[in-house]
Amino acid sequence: MTAPQIATAGRAGPSRLARACDVLAFEWTKLRSVRSNYWTLLIAAAVTLGVTAIVAQSIASAPGRAPGGPIDPLVSSFLGYGEYTTAPVTVLSVLAFTSEYGSGLIRTTFTAVPRRRVVLAAKATVTGAAALIAGELLAFACFFLAQAILSRHHRGLALSHPGTLQAVLAAGLALAACAIVGVGVGAITRHTAGGIAAAITVIYLLAVLCLVLPPPWNVRLGRFTLPFAAYQLVTLHHQAGLLSPGLSAGVLIGWPAAALLAAALLITRRDT
Amino acid sequence: MSLPPGSAVAIPVLAVAVAFIAWCLADLARAGQVRYLPKWVWAVIICVSVPWGGLVYLIAGKSRPAAGVPLMAAAAGDSGTAASGAPLTRRVPVSPVAIEVDQLTKRFGPVTAVDALSFTVRPGHVTGFLGPNGAGKTTTMRVILGLDAPTSGRALVGDRRYQQIIRPLHVVGSLLDPTAVQGGRTAWSHLLSIAQSNGIGRARAMQVLEASGLAPVAGRRIREFSLGMKQRLGIAVALLADPPALIFDEPVNGLDAAGVRWIRQLFTSMAAEGRTVLVSSHLMSEIALTADHLIIIGRGRLLADTTTDRFVSGTRQDVLVRSPRAGELAGLLTARGAAVRPEGAGGLAVTGLDAPAIGDLAAGNGIAVHELVPRHASLEQAYLDLTGDSTDYGAGTPVPEGTATS
Repeated sequence: MTAPQIATAGRAGPSRLARACDVLAFEWTKLRSVRSNYWTLLIAAAVTLGVTAIVAQSIASAPGRAPGGPIDPLVSSFLGYGEYTTAPVTVLSVLAFTSEYGSGLIRTTFTAVPRRRVVLAAKATVTGAAALIAGELLAFACFFLAQAILSRHHRGLALSHPGTLQAVLAAGLALAACAIVGVGVGAITRHTAGGIAAAITVIYLLAVLCLVLPPPWNVRLGRFTLPFAAYQLVTLHHQAGLLSPGLSAGVLIGWPAAALLAAALLITRRDT
Repeated sequence: MSLPPGSAVAIPVLAVAVAFIAWCLADLARAGQVRYLPKWVWAVIICVSVPWGGLVYLIAGKSRPAAGVPLMAAAAGDSGTAASGAPLTRRVPVSPVAIEVDQLTKRFGPVTAVDALSFTVRPGHVTGFLGPNGAGKTTTMRVILGLDAPTSGRALVGDRRYQQIIRPLHVVGSLLDPTAVQGGRTAWSHLLSIAQSNGIGRARAMQVLEASGLAPVAGRRIREFSLGMKQRLGIAVALLADPPALIFDEPVNGLDAAGVRWIRQLFTSMAAEGRTVLVSSHLMSEIALTADHLIIIGRGRLLADTTTDRFVSGTRQDVLVRSPRAGELAGLLTARGAAVRPEGAGGLAVTGLDAPAIGDLAAGNGIAVHELVPRHASLEQAYLDLTGDSTDYGAGTPVPEGTATS
């Protein structure tokens, strides 16, 4: 007797797009309503710009050439960005899920949106988009700051120099990739400490591990890690042993895709 | 109604970000460099710009009223009025939604939390869901809400599994754990985010906030809230979409006297409107005043599924008689078929005869009666009798004083 009434209520319901927008708004409101997110980003940005300025200054004032070969003015713009922005943003994105699991809010979330993969997709989209915006902003800021300092010593690079714009854009993309890896890892681990450790391992420590491998293998395996792929995209002179820029961009997309896939498989199989 | 505090920061930041990148691209276009960009850079540019459009829309876009639910339809003065007098429920008549648990079993490793449990929660009643700690009440509720997957059996809400319901807050409102909130968020942000997830407008969220008496503290972080305030916030979330079914797990914990009365009146009025109300508790005294139907479980099994009235009438009752000639009276009562048990000095606990019959019998035989009291076992006692065998974490049965010496 109750069935037809309920069915009608369901059929009169909203479109798929409207529901997707609802869940995006849900996740966006949750992301922006925690004040510590803003503070973390602000401090990360300040530290990054400071480190970038120091790096640029020391390169600019270095007499002659560095021992490792010619200094790439493009890569040097992102030395601070690569660590002092990526690490805090990764931690924040891991927290997107683990803080909900830790507090129990995840039950409210899954009660409001029982399709858990939709929640995962929305969290990845919102966190990734926020990281992309922050990343592009900071990447451009880092680039202009570093070039302003370098150009006083006539080593600067204009944005219109071939290959420069794509490098700066790729730097922002790399941050979004790390953020989405963080979201996926957070959904997989469900615990903050473990999640942060796992995400930092995937993003940084794998590359560090590859560096200590014997010579042919350090680059052969290393080129598939995120930092190597990101390096290839932000450098002016492409490194021979690494993947081509196109394939490196693929690596940058592959890691978050893999993390999200694993999370999507696990998230519906677990009780909360 | 005020905009949430975040948007004042977010909108200018986003605007500056978009303008900045656009300026960079325009600058490059002027320099004639755009032609030389590889294809994948264009892909990145497109990927970068599309989410911005979406985010700007989400932040700046107007709140959308929920489809199919007349949020602003009815005026004040309706039923379901709460602490501040604002209406909480307006949708009349409610389309009835029954909750049906069918042969539900849930195991956690070797532990069977719920064991072949079947019952139906019907619309128009407040149904009390009782059982000792660890009986499986919360697990059952989690399975109903799609949070835990059943080992076997199923739970249906309005003939569907919870996961199949589109915008489920419009069908079932629930409160499992009021402390399961993030302390860094304000009450308003918490409520608003959940409202957005099911397409519920800001106006309705504000209305529910006012009705729950939390409007003055809407801008404060939840971390500063007392348990009672979190409880009210959780109830506000449950009532957001004005749902025809409600599920509450231990809702009275942490509420003050006014809050307890508020929530009891709320349950009663909700049921009177034809809604389905399932309220769990481990204390009979909390439930007895509001619930008209009882589902009692112990160790995951169904012990009783009955109306409160029938449960009361089925309980143990006897008559206490006190007389200086108790021994003589006991003989007479036994002869009339009553069961008699001595109780204290000159006292008899009589079952099988009612008080007038006992009084008449005593008077007819010239026996003075000093006390004649018909006694009902309390609901609490009846409940303890029923669940006594199935308590997981009970304290051992106390040994009555003096039994060792006799």
